[in-house]
Amino acid sequence: MNLKVNRQDYQVEDTPDRLLLWVLRDELGLTGTKFGCGIGICGSCTVHLDGSPTRACITMLSAANNMEVRTIEGLAETDSAGEPVLHPVQKAFLDEQVPQCSWCMSGQMMTAVALLEQNPNPNADEIRQAMNSVYCRCGTYYRIRKAVERAAQLKAVEQ
Amino acid sequence: MTENMNEPVKPRKRRRLSRRDFLIVLGVGAAGFYAGVRLGTPYLRLRLVDFLEESGGPPSNIDAPPDAWFEILINNTVNLYLPKSEMGQGVHTGLAQIAAEELDVDLDQMQVFHAPTTRLVDPVGTSASNTISSLFTPLREVAATLRELMRAEAASQLNVLPQDLVLEAGVFSVSSNPDQQRKYGELFQSLDQWELPENPPALKDPSQYRQIGQPLPRVDLPAKIVGKAVYGFDVRIPGMLYGAVARPETIEGKLVNASPGQAASLPGVVKVVTEDDFAGVVAKSREEAYRALASLQLEWDPGKLWQQEEIEAMVTVGQGRGVVIQREGNVNQNLNNGTLVEAEYRTPMAFHAYMEPMAAVADVGPDKVEIWASTQAANRLRGAVAEAIQRLQDEIVVHPVYLGGGFGRKIDELAAVEAARLSQTAGQPVQVAMSRPEDFNTGFLRPPTHSILRASLDENGMILAIEHEASSGEVAFPFLPSIMGTVMGADFGSYRGANVYYAVPNKQTTAWLAKLPVSTGWWRGLGLMPNTFAVESFIDELANSANLDPLEFRLRHLPDDETGQRTRNALQIAAEEVNWGASLPEGHAHGIAMSYDYGTIIVEIAEVSVENDQIRVHKVTAVADPGLVINPDNVIAQTQGAITMGLSASLLEEVQIRDGAFQATNFNQYPLLRNADAPDIKVVVLNSRNSPTGMGEPPIGPIPAAVANAVFVATGQRLRRLPLKFD
Ligand code: FES
Ligand code: FES
Repeated sequence: MNLKVNRQDYQVEDTPDRLLLWVLRDELGLTGTKFGCGIGICGSCTVHLDGSPTRACITMLSAANNMEVRTIEGLAETDSAGEPVLHPVQKAFLDEQVPQCSWCMSGQMMTAVALLEQNPNPNADEIRQAMNSVYCRCGTYYRIRKAVERAAQLKAVEQ
Repeated sequence: MTENMNEPVKPRKRRRLSRRDFLIVLGVGAAGFYAGVRLGTPYLRLRLVDFLEESGGPPSNIDAPPDAWFEILINNTVNLYLPKSEMGQGVHTGLAQIAAEELDVDLDQMQVFHAPTTRLVDPVGTSASNTISSLFTPLREVAATLRELMRAEAASQLNVLPQDLVLEAGVFSVSSNPDQQRKYGELFQSLDQWELPENPPALKDPSQYRQIGQPLPRVDLPAKIVGKAVYGFDVRIPGMLYGAVARPETIEGKLVNASPGQAASLPGVVKVVTEDDFAGVVAKSREEAYRALASLQLEWDPGKLWQQEEIEAMVTVGQGRGVVIQREGNVNQNLNNGTLVEAEYRTPMAFHAYMEPMAAVADVGPDKVEIWASTQAANRLRGAVAEAIQRLQDEIVVHPVYLGGGFGRKIDELAAVEAARLSQTAGQPVQVAMSRPEDFNTGFLRPPTHSILRASLDENGMILAIEHEASSGEVAFPFLPSIMGTVMGADFGSYRGANVYYAVPNKQTTAWLAKLPVSTGWWRGLGLMPNTFAVESFIDELANSANLDPLEFRLRHLPDDETGQRTRNALQIAAEEVNWGASLPEGHAHGIAMSYDYGTIIVEIAEVSVENDQIRVHKVTAVADPGLVINPDNVIAQTQGAITMGLSASLLEEVQIRDGAFQATNFNQYPLLRNADAPDIKVVVLNSRNSPTGMGEPPIGPIPAAVANAVFVATGQRLRRLPLKFD
């Protein structure tokens, strides 16, 4: 089948029980999407399917048919000189020095991007609730909340 | 040095491993080492010291010449190779700042890498929060040495005296003629014979620091933020296959019979391995490997079917071996005077539950074995692989890569050993990357603990005598040569934090050690958090019995020395930050706790409420004094992270054993603290000295007691068991 990831088309074999996560990581080499539990709890594997945050570890490859998959590798844009331009969420996570080990961070940032696309100006409680779905064992939750607030401001300035 | 063809090439001089370095090599850090040595009987202690002296220590070249640590490219980029692992704790940035300080370069001129074992070997590994403190001086010395070697080379090339050169951002220029220049990059390339000075050059005075003490951004984040950083789970090398290994369901389970069944004929399968004690599959994809694994025919001997109650009974004061580790005055006599207070506390077993499960790639070739792994101990791992596949250590190269968290468990070499065994049979590189249940069920855990504390109070509310009996499963012993255990008797990992820090005329601490059927070992802070939970909860109970404010009670019992002064300062600043004693929102209460751990002082105050028996932590305020601060923002980040992880342990986490197996196999049965329940955390950082102590672990110590103490104020109920809950 055709799998569209970060605006690029890939031909992959769709045997019945393939999971999106391992196709992304092991076949397409997009290892920015991480594995933490395989049962949809930790959120490390969060990607976007047509803009909605989705757990790739419990998503069948076939479910991505005719959908746009977006991963952490597709978050930054490239400018005319070929330099990466960070997404406001990435910029905010960097500004607030959020990541520690960073294994959870793709999931955190993909979740934050989806939140801000849906709700550009979330209040503190909405941020807590949206970000509640992704574990961080290094304990960066407080900085994550600050970074999401900051990302919302950065996005507002950009527009 | 100028090149002279007629002169014989001088061999590079390597400084001998000094005694101080050797103590570091022991992995205990000088403080822990001496604490340990204090325990043995004099005779045995002397034998241990002899053993250590004579053995000359494990082979080590961590005291290596500058070119093992540094490589300077022609464009003046400084590559720094580090024998310490970056697992999120920010050590690559801290060490880069320390190196940049003496090299006089900016951090953005540097690139930091994990050193492969062919370049640098650290016999200890990355643990016990001693990275910064143990490398602070050696790394500055090696950087200063390199700088001076390059200065001498520049002077010789420019025909001036070394003192006539001015150094700026990695460029030497002649002070009287600034156009005359030599760059680090050029000099490094032209230095092919090095004569290292016997003594390192003088190091900067702290007043001159430009890098140390600055909140510089972390060097590893740019790659991490775009998903490009490579971890053990992410390593991909040409021809790499995926391995899956059969695992017992019980903690004592042993493979007794294995046959391939239909596995070999399943799609993607390259190799099926069934050996006496080991069965696994190598396949073209991860999913194919795991599918084939499920079709192996395996017969297990489950071993004894242990129950939780049996484990807890073993970890009970009075069981196993008890060693007195602290004794001042006469406790027995003085416990009978005054008012006696007694309480006991328990903490459970816990998983490390880092987000990246154990993972490694091995490429076992005829002449060379290469391993890529998320490891805290590359050297240990190299030895374990050598033994498992019967190869010489020298044939094995370990490339440490980023860790998605470690917290002590990634000293474990299991995934790499299994990958090596599979690669050896398959003749191709193989990755073993565990699923969450495999990761939970195959390794060691934080040991359970039990503490009994007794104290007597005099009529003024001062502690007359205090006794702590602390029982724990093993932490460090399983990882050390057995002589250490024989001589020390008490496991320094288990009793970390058990000693009573406060100034009390009569005090005694006894460490009881239990060898359990379940493997236990390093977990962030080792014994620090369980022991601090017991001691700091008990101090609060004493304050309550003495009718004194818990802050005031602590202040009255501080030692009259430099450490006591630093602690007083930290307690008072924390109290001011939260306006201690002022009224809080309805139903909210403050609890305070502190720890003194290998020179690092931490004070934490939790603001808590309890509703329908649910404990909510609204805010935590912390003061951290790690001596010399290398990077204040990282001190804050580590404090916030350790507090958050400690809150998860305080409120939620517990591993139970039923019928010989862990009850939890994944996060559905072992939930972690989530964002909505994680408080805001304010951190004040104090810079009090000229040398740094550790920061990765100490802040995890006080938080459970701070919360329990606040719960007591809010409800009048004293919770003495982790995780904290109302029965
Ligand atoms: S790996 Fe998908 S939710 Fe944990
Ligand atoms: S940064 Fe390590 S798990 Fe979140």
